[in-house]
Amino acid sequence: MRAPNFFYKGLGFAVLKRRVIKIALPIAAAALVLSACGSDDDDDKKKEGGSTAPGNTGGGNKPTWTIGFQAGLSGENAQLGINEENGARLAVEQANAKGDLPFTLKFKTSDDEASETKSVSAAQKLIDDSNVVAVIGPAFSGPTKAASPNYAKAKLATVSPSATNPSLTSAGNNFTAFLRGTPNDNAQGSGMAKYLSKKLQAKKVFVVDDKTEYGVGLSKVAKDELAKAGVQVVSDSVPKATPDYGPISTKIKNSGADAMIYAGYYQDGAPFAKKLKEAGFTGPKFSGDGTNDSQFVSLAGDAANDWFLTCPCSDANVEAATKQFTEDYKKRFNTNPSTYSAESFDIANLVIDQMKSFGAEKIGREAMLTKLKSASYKGLTKSFKFQPNGEFDGATTFIYQVKGGKIGYMGDIDQLVGG
Amino acid sequence: MQPDEILDYLIPGIMLGALYAVIAIGYTLVYGVLQLINFAHSEVFMVGAYSALLALTWIDPSSNPTTFMSVLLVAAGLAVSGTAGAATAFTLEKVAYRPLRRRNAPRLAFLISAIGASYFLQNLAGKLFGRDSRALPTVFENKKVFSVFGTQVTILQLLIVCAAVLMMVGLDYLVNRTKLGLGIRAVAQDAETAGLMGVDIDKVISRTFIIGGFMGGIAGFLFGLHLQLSFTMGFLPGITAFAAAVVGGVGNIRGAMMGGMLLGIVESFSSPIFGESWRYVSAFAVLVLVLMFRPTGILGERLGRSA
Repeated sequence: MRAPNFFYKGLGFAVLKRRVIKIALPIAAAALVLSACGSDDDDDKKKEGGSTAPGNTGGGNKPTWTIGFQAGLSGENAQLGINEENGARLAVEQANAKGDLPFTLKFKTSDDEASETKSVSAAQKLIDDSNVVAVIGPAFSGPTKAASPNYAKAKLATVSPSATNPSLTSAGNNFTAFLRGTPNDNAQGSGMAKYLSKKLQAKKVFVVDDKTEYGVGLSKVAKDELAKAGVQVVSDSVPKATPDYGPISTKIKNSGADAMIYAGYYQDGAPFAKKLKEAGFTGPKFSGDGTNDSQFVSLAGDAANDWFLTCPCSDANVEAATKQFTEDYKKRFNTNPSTYSAESFDIANLVIDQMKSFGAEKIGREAMLTKLKSASYKGLTKSFKFQPNGEFDGATTFIYQVKGGKIGYMGDIDQLVGG
Repeated sequence: MQPDEILDYLIPGIMLGALYAVIAIGYTLVYGVLQLINFAHSEVFMVGAYSALLALTWIDPSSNPTTFMSVLLVAAGLAVSGTAGAATAFTLEKVAYRPLRRRNAPRLAFLISAIGASYFLQNLAGKLFGRDSRALPTVFENKKVFSVFGTQVTILQLLIVCAAVLMMVGLDYLVNRTKLGLGIRAVAQDAETAGLMGVDIDKVISRTFIIGGFMGGIAGFLFGLHLQLSFTMGFLPGITAFAAAVVGGVGNIRGAMMGGMLLGIVESFSSPIFGESWRYVSAFAVLVLVLMFRPTGILGERLGRSA
């Protein structure tokens, strides 16, 4: 405190010194904190650019429009969200770089931490930004369900690359701004059931869900379809973040089931796989797109081997159509594209394609939503078209299997089963 | 559930219970000397696990260690996680509690400080190590060691139970037979009088934190071997262990051991009997039941007096 001491004395504040410090320090600290918070907003404004207010075409400047993106980008199941963010970001950057757009594109992300409670405020962040004309996401079913009423009210279109819970498009929800950019869990659940009953001739299957919107939906379809195929079904629910997957693994082993399905995300699928291996369960093990991620393999290690993983997504690294995309992606993000990267890239391009049809005119949210609903777009991974309720038009499911620490692509289930 | 399956669930239950017991001791020790629930203890547990991750990846990232290497790696993991846990708890006491104690702050201030420290550590770990889950490197292949009436016991289960029992026996000896233990018990009974009798209260409290932190850190490492690591990994085991401490009688060390074991075993059996989603319901139903008949917990008779 020597220096300030001298300073205050010099100014004749010697008597006040202590009191000044006592008051000034907290104020200075508070000011620092406030200015730190404030600077975020400033940055946003700078990025948006002063002369490009919404719809402003004056001064020869191109207008600026923003594509929003909502997913869990931090938290426990962030990898899927990051895969999608990268895919969409690449599409936006490439579209801007091409230079033939009648507008400048911005990309704005909002992190919902894959949590239903945080989803609403994450959505609000995008709704409040009047430059956002369409949103890619949310990535997960739970957050989608939570945020969709608000998006519907704002008439802001959301196209999700991966929210696969079937109930999202049911009429009672009135999620009028929700479009599903992928076949739903009905396709995955029935794909698993088909493969288990026809290809593997399973007699008794143990189905475990994780009590999330996604897990319960997927397991319900799988159970119904298995029962229809005459397979005996046993089931249980293991809520996320259970401290011990030992008892449930023993239960599966003792039930005499010859195969099992886990309807949940990789975060919990990994320790589950480890305990199943320890319990000595050797039958075929299935899981859906929530587990279909390289993180599953790196967390579970050896125990991930032989797991079958389904997905409405094909493998961008293997399919010929996505070769160029894979190279660009690697160059930009220094990693291989993973689950839903290419689908997200396609959906971003679908959105950009519809935006182009406005030319340099003002893009209204409602008009954009109407256009997207009737859009049809041939992407790298598949053709995109929507049913009137926002459901994806089409139902292909692909299957993968973990072999030697890698998720190996097997192909289209219908083709593999042969019918 | 068939009668011959009882051991299939009892053994994992004992393993989980041993972990809960070790964490619960951290809560109960601090409560004993300070009458304060150290809510940041769950983060001491998390820090222990991450420090072991850092140490183990630094020593040997290969995935196929020899038997000798395995023993070495486990020893290193235990040592590092224990030390890191102890250091974290020590710092925690110095930074988050001692200044408040000096100023005779109200009880609520301690609680807020504890929660603040907990969030700080949690998010610091999230920032430093990433918010995605991590797995510890393969330290040993988790083979079966022997079987009891047809139920296999794995190396990991044996390791966890042995480490927990050793620590608990050691702690029991330390508290009941050594001079430091005498000091801890004296401060727990009546801090003011203990001070007048020449006990250095600050030192005793600080060492109590170190002991609890050491055990919590090791529990974190063992839990990481059993499950996996994430920056929020301390929360659920922490809450359950806290409940275990209350079931046993908060402030009573042997009570914490019993409470931990009880909750671990109840959780494990809830899976075949009620279904896996009733895990916490049954554990906390036991908590309520015990408190209905013994409001001070199974072994806690001093609670009424100390409050």
